Amino acid sequence: MGKYSRELTVAAVLAALLLALAIFAPNFFAPQPFLSRLASQMPALVAAIGMTCVLLSRQIDISIGAQFGLCAVIGGLLAAAKLPLVIVLGGALAAGAVMGALNGALVAWLGLPSIVVTLATMVTWQEALRLWQQGRLLNLPPGVQWFGLSQTAGQSLLIVVAFVLVALAAWALRRVAAGRFIYAVGSDAEAARLAGIEPRRVTFGVFVFMGLLVGLAAVMNVVQSPQIQPTCGDGFELKVIAAVVVGGVAVTGGRGRLWGVVPGLLLLANVNPALTHFHVQAYWEKAIQGAVILLAVLADGLNRKRAS
Amino acid sequence: MSRGATSTSRVKSALLRHETVLLLVLIAEVLFFNSVGRNFGTSANVANIVRQSVEIGLLALALTPIILTGGIDLSVGSLLGLCAVVFGMLWKVAGLDPWLAALGAVVAGALGGGLNATLITRFRLPPLIVTLGTFSLFRGLAEALTGGTVAYTGFPASFLALGNGFWLDVPVQAWVFFAVALWIWLLVHRTTFGRSFRAIGFAPEGARYAGLPVERSLALAYVQTGAIAGLAAVIFVSRVTEARANAGTGYELAAITAVVLGGTSIFGGTGSVHGTLLGVAAVAVLANGLSRIVTIMAISRELSGILTGALLLLALAAGAVTKTIFERRNRRPAS
Repeated sequence: MGKYSRELTVAAVLAALLLALAIFAPNFFAPQPFLSRLASQMPALVAAIGMTCVLLSRQIDISIGAQFGLCAVIGGLLAAAKLPLVIVLGGALAAGAVMGALNGALVAWLGLPSIVVTLATMVTWQEALRLWQQGRLLNLPPGVQWFGLSQTAGQSLLIVVAFVLVALAAWALRRVAAGRFIYAVGSDAEAARLAGIEPRRVTFGVFVFMGLLVGLAAVMNVVQSPQIQPTCGDGFELKVIAAVVVGGVAVTGGRGRLWGVVPGLLLLANVNPALTHFHVQAYWEKAIQGAVILLAVLADGLNRKRAS
Repeated sequence: MSRGATSTSRVKSALLRHETVLLLVLIAEVLFFNSVGRNFGTSANVANIVRQSVEIGLLALALTPIILTGGIDLSVGSLLGLCAVVFGMLWKVAGLDPWLAALGAVVAGALGGGLNATLITRFRLPPLIVTLGTFSLFRGLAEALTGGTVAYTGFPASFLALGNGFWLDVPVQAWVFFAVALWIWLLVHRTTFGRSFRAIGFAPEGARYAGLPVERSLALAYVQTGAIAGLAAVIFVSRVTEARANAGTGYELAAITAVVLGGTSIFGGTGSVHGTLLGVAAVAVLANGLSRIVTIMAISRELSGILTGALLLLALAAGAVTKTIFERRNRRPAS
């Protein structure tokens, strides 16, 4: 067990929560709402792939909520102009990549700390989006929601896409040179440089990858409803970072596994529905999420203390 | 070893330059808005600027020692919200005197800061992730305590004077701010204990081996920040005349922006309290000045947000570029 204890603990807590729900609130598992709940978490899961890479390379990106909102609005405007889905997707991906590249350039080549850089870009994009859209709701033409498929088919497609991406990325992080480079740079950038890796390029690439995935996540969010709220990205960054950290990825870089992020995200995502099914007031959601994050890092800290 | 000494003096001179540049930016802002904006220079508007910046200013002051140690506290805005709710409940539900309730809010803030301090110093957890967790926890507790909707109002006039009255022609809360600013300045720049903040940020292991009370300094910095967040909560409630769970949303970002704009390195080790004060003033004047030019309230707020973000990036980039130039200059004689 030792090696995977963290991931398995989170998975066990998730299993216990789901089991408790199965016993005390069986209609939690009624097929349609269950599928909808799962599908609504897929944008966060896709973004969590990028955030895992960012944290593994010992950086952080708190601007992804603002990026998410901007990409969703750009994708939505393209969709509202009746352009084909490929262009909608391309527009959102390009917007995400550009914003990610800006973060990456400032962090990698100017050597600035990612927490402050992404803090600044977060404020800038957030206010730019507000200035541009003034909080307007964006109505989408019919045929955009669920890619024009049935609801069940659309939701299943989103879930399959997200999990295939997670599997691919988890494999690449372990087995492909570029993935190993991320671990190497996050563990010790200087050692990585001496080993012939270019840490700046890796850092830049990680931020661009993060932006691309945010663009994809935004489109996966757009197709789930007939309207887009420009505020849809508020708090998105925290949700994703929390999921990745609870999943066992260390903010100090170089440690953690992508597959652990899946139970991490699902655990946090099920807190709120579980509360309503247990008839606890939903206002406790944020407090419980915070407590879960603290418990996860505390468990990590105690483990490391015992190990050393 | 002599290289270390010269680079410290170089960094010092660069710092001096940073603060001078910031002061010039501030003066330029004031001159510009005074000539273009409507009623910018009136005493009523100056009082406005002060009132609107005291709470964020207090948080920025409290964050300066923390950032000097290379740490960060993302939970200050949420803690302000929680303390505002605690204050409202102590007064309305428990029926305490408002000033006693205010003391309770400061104690609650210190306890919240104590939670951060315990997790960071006793368990050696990274401040970024600890305070990200308490950022969520404190706001969540505030929402849970008020059921998300309750707002406490109807405070007595004697209490509301704190946020809306004058004493000696200066807004009352400005006096509180001056007192806290003086305390933090003396602590950071005039005591050996405060010097340890920079030592920890400069080389945490080195500070430990040099026998500095690293854990105690860190704990003090986080607990103090919590207490000041409680104080800011009381002033906030008095100014807006109601206590709600969403008080201080986003304030952590504004406060961190002011500190970094003021020249304190986010990696720790270098920075100053007067720099932070200039940073607070620069952001506050920009926001207020824009509202004197652009008539629509929402648009001026958004513009000031964008400009603050851009200003922060520029300050960072300028700092990074000068640092590289210094390093190049330092490297040449060595090689």
